[in-house]
Amino acid sequence: MTEIRLSNLGKDFASFTALADMNMTIADGEFMALLGPSGCGKSTTMNMIAGMLEPTTGSIEFDGRDVRGVPMARRGVGFVFQNYAIFTHMTVWDNLAYGLKARGTPRAEVARRVEETASLLQLSPLLKRRASGLSVNILQRLAIGRSAIVEPAIFLLDEPLSNVDAAFRAVMRTELKQLQRQFKQTMIYVTHDQLEAMTMADRIAVMDHGKLLQVGTPLDVYNNPQNTFVAGFLGSPGMNLMQGHVRQDGSSTAVDFGAHGSITVSDTAIEAAAAKSDGRVQFGFRPEAAAPSQDGALRFPVNFIERIGSRTIVHLGDPDNAIKIIVANQTELPRVGEVLSLDITKGSERFFEIESGQAVGRQSDGLH
Amino acid sequence: MNTIADITDTVQKTPADRPNDEGHLGLWLSLPAQLLVLFIAVFPILMQIYISLTDWSPLDGIGWWRAWELWNSFANYTDLAQDNRFWSALLRTLLVMVVCVPVEFLLGLGLAVLFVDEFPGRRFLYSVLLIPMMVVPAVAGYMFFMLFQSGGPINDILAFFVGQPVKIAWLSDPDLALIAVMVADIWQWTPLMFLILLAGLVGVPEDQQRAATLLGASWWRRFITIVLPRMKTIMIIALAIRVIENFKIFDTLFIMTGGGPGVATETISVYIYKVTQQELIWGYVAAIALAILITLSIVSAYAIRHVSSPEADT
Amino acid sequence: MQRSAGYEALRFGLILLFVALTLIPTLWMVSMAFKPIAEWSATGSDLTWWPKNPTWDNFAFIFGQSSSELIVSLDRTAGRPILASLLSASFGTVIAMVAGTTAAYGLSRFGSGANLPLALIQLRLFPPMAVMIPVMIMWAFLGLTDTWWGLALIYGIVTLPFAFWLMKTFFDDMPREIEDAALVEGCSRFRVFVKITLPMMRPALASSALFVFILNWSDYLIALLLTTRDWVTIPVYMASLSSSMTGQLYGAKAALGLIAAVPPVIMGIAIQKHLVRGLTFGALKE
Repeated sequence: MTEIRLSNLGKDFASFTALADMNMTIADGEFMALLGPSGCGKSTTMNMIAGMLEPTTGSIEFDGRDVRGVPMARRGVGFVFQNYAIFTHMTVWDNLAYGLKARGTPRAEVARRVEETASLLQLSPLLKRRASGLSVNILQRLAIGRSAIVEPAIFLLDEPLSNVDAAFRAVMRTELKQLQRQFKQTMIYVTHDQLEAMTMADRIAVMDHGKLLQVGTPLDVYNNPQNTFVAGFLGSPGMNLMQGHVRQDGSSTAVDFGAHGSITVSDTAIEAAAAKSDGRVQFGFRPEAAAPSQDGALRFPVNFIERIGSRTIVHLGDPDNAIKIIVANQTELPRVGEVLSLDITKGSERFFEIESGQAVGRQSDGLH
Repeated sequence: MNTIADITDTVQKTPADRPNDEGHLGLWLSLPAQLLVLFIAVFPILMQIYISLTDWSPLDGIGWWRAWELWNSFANYTDLAQDNRFWSALLRTLLVMVVCVPVEFLLGLGLAVLFVDEFPGRRFLYSVLLIPMMVVPAVAGYMFFMLFQSGGPINDILAFFVGQPVKIAWLSDPDLALIAVMVADIWQWTPLMFLILLAGLVGVPEDQQRAATLLGASWWRRFITIVLPRMKTIMIIALAIRVIENFKIFDTLFIMTGGGPGVATETISVYIYKVTQQELIWGYVAAIALAILITLSIVSAYAIRHVSSPEADT
Repeated sequence: MQRSAGYEALRFGLILLFVALTLIPTLWMVSMAFKPIAEWSATGSDLTWWPKNPTWDNFAFIFGQSSSELIVSLDRTAGRPILASLLSASFGTVIAMVAGTTAAYGLSRFGSGANLPLALIQLRLFPPMAVMIPVMIMWAFLGLTDTWWGLALIYGIVTLPFAFWLMKTFFDDMPREIEDAALVEGCSRFRVFVKITLPMMRPALASSALFVFILNWSDYLIALLLTTRDWVTIPVYMASLSSSMTGQLYGAKAALGLIAAVPPVIMGIAIQKHLVRGLTFGALKE
């Protein structure tokens, strides 16, 4: 029920900059995932929104109201910790009632709302139980219920699935998404797991080294990475990247990869980008956007073949141009050492500047 | 028949024929401690029971093994029941405990709360605050003996606040002497509470406290509902240690007042000491000592069963 | 977490108050130890918080040098009681550590001596005064009364619970993989204990030994009952200084108290991080 606006947000710890110049607006009721490797600044961002940390620079606004200096107890923020931080010495009922009691809500009202929340989260039969020894998905529901019951404007979730074993994560992801629909609250979800971000979030903010790199819907971020980091970080395996030289090929322009072949391009922006670094440009394509064909544009020797069940990853190329493609299981597989020629699906080619790593031409929906 | 169990058995035995070797070694290793315990527990207790049924005294000139010549059945125990000096010493010991242990606990807890967050000089001041508990108790007793002299610094400090000379004879006033003794005990043992409770306080999960804060709980509410319940076990340990040790109170007190004036600061240990050294009726002392040992055993067995609750929280 | 300046000021004020209350008694004794006789019992406006004319006379006096100001002379100097304290506390520590370490290892690795943990806690529970009659009789019978070795023996027994429990928790914490590896190499169990485990445990052994030494060194009551003249320890000697003389020898006793107090304070601070473990019988580790 709240729009969050971060402007020029930054945080320094002594000489270390954990976050710099972050600008982002999270819409009311939106599920935003902050995605990045550890140390990218995502937790710092969230802790500042919660009020556990004060920003060094910039501002945080909830619905246009600057919340800097507002103590965390009064920000109206619900927080789900990585380990859920359930009060295990209390019963489930006491956990749920904790926030209401702290606010001095009348007894009858507390009881009514605990019942209400418990039934919404299917916790009713467990109310009298001590919270220690509950299973992890019940702990998750309890953690969310405990925060939700005081009707926070914003929900922050700090890697809530990182302690859950892989088999159970899918269940928890689904449940979490359903809970968000029920509560319709603005949620910020911090994770290093792209699968969680892709499946649950309305939009994803990809971060690295204290910088916000790209914000967009999961598909947009996946399809149109704005720089080589996002391209390589998202997807499993990530986008293939290789350097090529731009040259004029008669009337058309081509990117030449030497022995690996060349592709023709028609975007003038690529030539402009290449002009910045001796005619070189970074070419990228998704592993699933390439398919073996009789006379494809690119040729690579096969290094080894990795079977991962439903699909098979073929590793190709040389150390400078390590390429992975994904083929269906039924496909007749190439032999190791054989030179494979590849066709790249039209429209899925991406180009990046060599120096900055920024995407060339086609832009995503932008930062806001 | 060659079962799997047989095979695993042989496999496990290979490094130096384990089971036998280990069993014997284990017994040998615990032998010195077992012997010392036997030496100090079994024989002395039997001797104590025997002597407690007699009127034996080292002054009688007969060896303790001939104490049966002075057999008095249970007279020592019936005497004990009517020994007012014993009962008032016991009450006094409990009074000291009931005052000192809670005060030490509360001061120690308060100090631990002040120390839980980092601040410059924290480590150094922490060490400084632990000094009293490392001072030899008899020396601590002597320190407070000096401090509580009628011309000593405590009266001097009081005089500063009152604005006129103070000449309180702390240690020779029957009412004040006990207070002086308790002050010394609190000075010496608050650091122990502080040490243990701080270790407990630091162990309270920070996420839980943050979660409580985010739910709108005040500092006080958090302390009562999250921090204290989480420290329950540690608080019980700290209190138990001090209750046990405080019951034995002797060194500081004996140096300060010798149990006096009169019997004003005579605790159980001091009383037994005086009967042992001055009145020399050891048969009676043995009876007192046994009565205390039995009572303590019952109390501790009860406490261990009822206080150590089965629901241990991590 | 952000806190108000008022809270911080209050917090610092309270901490300083506690520190002052902790230090004043100690400093008073230090001050007294260096005061000349004229300042010993000065009161009221003459009361001196810090010696006006600091002197080493008090220390010289207890070691037998009669000063011009102290006319009394001692029939015994502090040398022998210090020796008695050192010998009895040290050998008591050796006894407790040897018996405690071996028993702790036996229990931790082989489960032998399962009765010991509780038996030793009970030993600690009982007031020493309540078991001293038979001990005094036994010690007299064995010719151990008023000897440093007799004191060492009882000290070893009294502090055995601490040595045992401390070492038990250290052994429990120690990973067994290293020992197992040596066993597979063909070393005997006992050899592994002596050649591998004990050397690895050196820091733990040192901390435990210091802890036990402090306890032995601090005793007053047992020495009061079991020594009479030749081998009285420092605290007993210190207490006797006032009863045998006319008037209080404040400065001399303070000097002696200082000598007695310094070693355990230094040792205690050195093993600070193990104090919690030691004092709570390993129930709490920091």
